[in-house]
Formats: sequence, C-alpha cells, structure tokens
Amino acid sequence: MSAILSIAKTTLGEAIRRRVLLVILLIGVLFLVIAPGLEALSPRQEATVLRALTLGVIQLTSAVIAIVLTVYLIPNEIERRTIYTILSKPVLRWQFLVGKYLGAVFALGLMMALMTATMLLVFAVMKGQTSVDQLGGLARVPVMFFVQMSLLAAVAVFFSTFVTPVVNFFLSGGVYLVGSVFNSLFEAFADPSRGDINPVARALATVVQVIVPNFQNFNVQNSAINPGQVIQGELSYTIGLIGYALFYIAILLIAGILIFDRREV
Amino acid sequence: MSLAIETRDLVKTYKTRSGQTHVVDRLNLRVEPGEIFGFLGPNGAGKTTTIKILLGIIYQTSGQAFVLGKEAGDIQVHRQISYLPEKPYYYEHMTGLEIMQFYASLFGIKDTEHCKRLLNRVNLGNDMNRPISQYSKGMQQRVGLAQSLLNDPQLLFLDEPTGGLDPIAHIEIRDLILQFRDEGKTVFISSHELSDVERICDRVAIINKGEVVAQGALETLLVGGRIEVTANGCPAELADRMRDGHNVVSLNQGRLIVDMPDDKNPNDVVTAVQSAGGEIVSVIPRRKRLEDLFLEAVSGDDKAKGRQTISMLGSGGNDAVANGQAAPAKTQDTKGDNP
Repeated sequence: MSAILSIAKTTLGEAIRRRVLLVILLIGVLFLVIAPGLEALSPRQEATVLRALTLGVIQLTSAVIAIVLTVYLIPNEIERRTIYTILSKPVLRWQFLVGKYLGAVFALGLMMALMTATMLLVFAVMKGQTSVDQLGGLARVPVMFFVQMSLLAAVAVFFSTFVTPVVNFFLSGGVYLVGSVFNSLFEAFADPSRGDINPVARALATVVQVIVPNFQNFNVQNSAINPGQVIQGELSYTIGLIGYALFYIAILLIAGILIFDRREV
Repeated sequence: MSLAIETRDLVKTYKTRSGQTHVVDRLNLRVEPGEIFGFLGPNGAGKTTTIKILLGIIYQTSGQAFVLGKEAGDIQVHRQISYLPEKPYYYEHMTGLEIMQFYASLFGIKDTEHCKRLLNRVNLGNDMNRPISQYSKGMQQRVGLAQSLLNDPQLLFLDEPTGGLDPIAHIEIRDLILQFRDEGKTVFISSHELSDVERICDRVAIINKGEVVAQGALETLLVGGRIEVTANGCPAELADRMRDGHNVVSLNQGRLIVDMPDDKNPNDVVTAVQSAGGEIVSVIPRRKRLEDLFLEAVSGDDKAKGRQTISMLGSGGNDAVANGQAAPAKTQDTKGDNP
C-alpha cells in the first residue's frame, strides 16, 4: 500500500505542474469567471442559463483534463525510463498502474475542486446566492462529474497500456462521446420494441451499450439548473451510480493490469 | 553459496517484418558473489535487454535467468538488488532528498536520515534540497547511485554508470563502485568505458549480437602483449597493405600507427615502411588492453560469421582505423565460466 500511495503522490505532484493541464484549467476558470457576462446573450431566465453554462464548462474542461492527464501516464514513464527504476524495486506492475491511476484521480479531483470553488464564488459574489441550499445544490453536480471523470480516466488508463497517447486521446474521447452525447441514440437503436431497426444494427448497438459505460447517467445537472426538477430517491440513485462507476473502474483497471503485466516495456 | 547471476541458454527474440531478430542468443553468464563484473559489447549487442530480463522488466523467449539463486523477476529478489539505468531521469519537480524519500518508500523505508546519509556519501549533502532540474549530469548520476544503495543491496546493476561524465565525476563514481565491492556487494556493470572497466572489474563478458564472444577473469583474458609501430610520411597504399593479418591500423596525414600482437615480427612492418619511403618514429611494446581484447573478440566474431566488421574504439581523429584480425570467435578462460 505504501508503494501505491507513494507512486500516487508523485503522479499528483507531476500532474499539477504540467503546463498543458494548467492552461486547460486556466481557460476553464476564466470561462467560469466571465460566464455572468455571457448570459445576456440568451433570452432565457438568467440564473438558469448561468447554471447550465458554468456546469457545462466544468464538465467539458474536466473531460479534457481527464483524458490529457491520463493518456500520457504510462507512455511517459516508459519513454523517460523512470519505470525501470521503479519496477526494479519491490513494486509489482499492478501496484504501479493503480498508483498512477490514483495519482491522476487525485489531481483531477484537485482541479475540479478549484473549478467548483470558482463557480460557487461567482454565484455568491456576482449573483448574491449565499444560502447553503442554493450553493450545495450546485456543488453536488460537480461531485457526480468527478465520479464520471474518474471513470473516464480509468478508460484512458486502460487504453494507455497498449496504444500510443494520440490514439488513446481519440479512443477515450470517442468512448466518452458514445457513452454520453450519443448514448440516447444507441439506446434507441438497441430498443427491442422498435420494429423498424435492422437486427444487425440493433445487435451492434446492444453490444456498444453493454461495453461502453453509460456516462449519461452521471449528468445530474438538470435538477440543479431547473429548481423545479427533483431526482426521485436521490440518495439511492447516487449510491447506485457510484457503485456502477466503481464496478466499471475495477473492470477497466483489472483488464489494464492483465495487459500491462505481460507488456514489454 | 549460489551465484549472483546465472543465465542458461538465454534467448530473447523480437518479431520484425523480416522475421525474427535474436537480440540475446543462447547467452550463458556466471557472475560470482562479491565481484565486479563488466558486461561489454558494441551498441545493439543486447546488453540492456539482458539486464532488463535479469530485472524481470521484460521476459526471455527461452532459457533461464537466475538472480541471487532465484528466478529473474522474483519480487523478493528485488529487495536485495538495485538498478541504475543508463541516462536516468528523475521527476524534475522533486529535490534530491525527495527523490530519495520516494524510492525509499517503495521499500517501505521511512528513515529520512538514511536518505541524507546516502546523499552525503555521494557528495550531495549540500545540494539535497535543490530541485533535480538544477542538477548537472554528474550530480544526477550520483543521485542514481545513492538511490541504488537505499536497500543496502547485495547486487547492483549499473548501466553505463560513467557515460558522458567529466573526468572528476568519472573518478568519483569509479571509487564508489570499488567501495561497493569492499562492502561485499556484487556489481554488474554494462559499459562502453573500457578503461574504467579494465581498472575496476574482476571479470568481464563481451557480447556481440546477443552472444558471448569472450568471458573470464581480466588477468587471464589479457595475457600477451601488443607492439605499436609508428611511422611518418607513409602513403595510403601502405596502410591498406598493413591491414592484412592481425593488425589494427590508423593513418592520419601520413602518420601511420600499426598495432599488432607481440607474436608477430615488427621488422616486417619496419621494412615495409622504409621501402615505401616512410620514416620510423617508434616501435613500442605494450601490454594487451581490454580495448584490444574487445576488438579481437567482436571483430573476430563478426568475421567468423561473415558480418561487416564494425569500426570501433579509440579512432578519434584518424583517417582510417581498421582491424584485419581473424581472431577466434570465442575466448574463454578456464575459470569455470562455461556452465
């Protein structure tokens, strides 16, 4: 456990100093700060637009950070030969991989916490929303985003055990899009009650639905954007989602370890 | 007492577009405990691949590899060994001391004083709190040596430990390695710095294209001597003629140096030089160096297998260096190196 935590700590230290990540983070934070000025562009209710906009910025920025952060985790260690010194110590490969993943998740959490704090500050200072209920309602959405991004990071770590960073960027990005933006589309294709779908397309859509994690489930921002909307049985829904994410993360890490264990580095 | 390192018919092949490439080919090594063992070979000979197999970082295609009596890669063995890679890289945001603490934590060691003691031992006591990014190459190499001592290893693998260092750093690192032997540690060095290897190693193995072409104690392998004939005003045709046989020949602006085994008659060269209008400068007998052994073993192996002879060491500034030797393909001493 000591080895895993040490590797995680070092990974965190490196990640929070990577300029490319800091630039992405800075852009995200800047958008959050100027977001109140952009709401005038929309005729919809100001607060609704601002909430949707800021949460959208956090989600998009976090997704880019999660992918950019993790696609280089293993390849960088191999290229710089740091992995040889580490693996020549009493460290097993699974410990190395899990340590790298945890370090990336810690770094992701730190960066998301910074963006969330900025968002809450924007609402408190510029919109005068200082009640714990209002801010708490907003803050729980990025928490679910964090779980979502941890899952996305596990996808990227899995791919990083056998593909190059560039390929991984597109693969992980593709998986995220299929599991979130296009999830409804695949759901419709896989629906057995629809007779107008080609059986082959339906079978393919079903396979994709089973394999690709459903990132859409973690998008709980609607209840925060539209105060009238509530999630029925929110606690059990949240626990279920976290369990779902942990299950997928475990599967992805185990698969990554099995590949990495036999890989020539 | 078991051997520190033993390989038996170790083979590592990689699939390429043109078929299979044997990077390590039936390699048999025996390293005794407590010795400094030099592992030599030209670039691409398979040295680093062999070390990676011994460390369990990559896996052999066939054959066996044992480290401290256990199969290579055994995690318990990793507690008793250490590795300094060629051109090591460290997380640049960390200081020398933080790097040491990080590697110590991988062994479960939390003793900061132990880390400091080791940094002091490699003369980094005053720089331990500076970021690694500010360290010179020699300082980074010394951090590498310090981290390799964290677990008080029985066996150290050092890959090019003096590569690219200035003369002072060279001497410091060489002295440290000698200290390791005095402490009873086994040191396995892969290096191109033949003068260093000759000074500190007890035994060596020279590999070429993945195969051992010479192995044994230096005192046994370096028996015999060489004669160096130097002449001025020599034409290029003469240098070409001299390349026949067992000679290493260099020609630079008419200055010809012929390096030959001491069982050959230097008068033949002297006569040839005088007939070609050249002037003899010196005829100096000298002892055989590791460089000579390396050239004999590697080029002899290449010739025996019909490969192009490599151009090699010590040729700085010469118009031409060639070794026309037809040395035996394998050289072994009789100290039981052949399992």
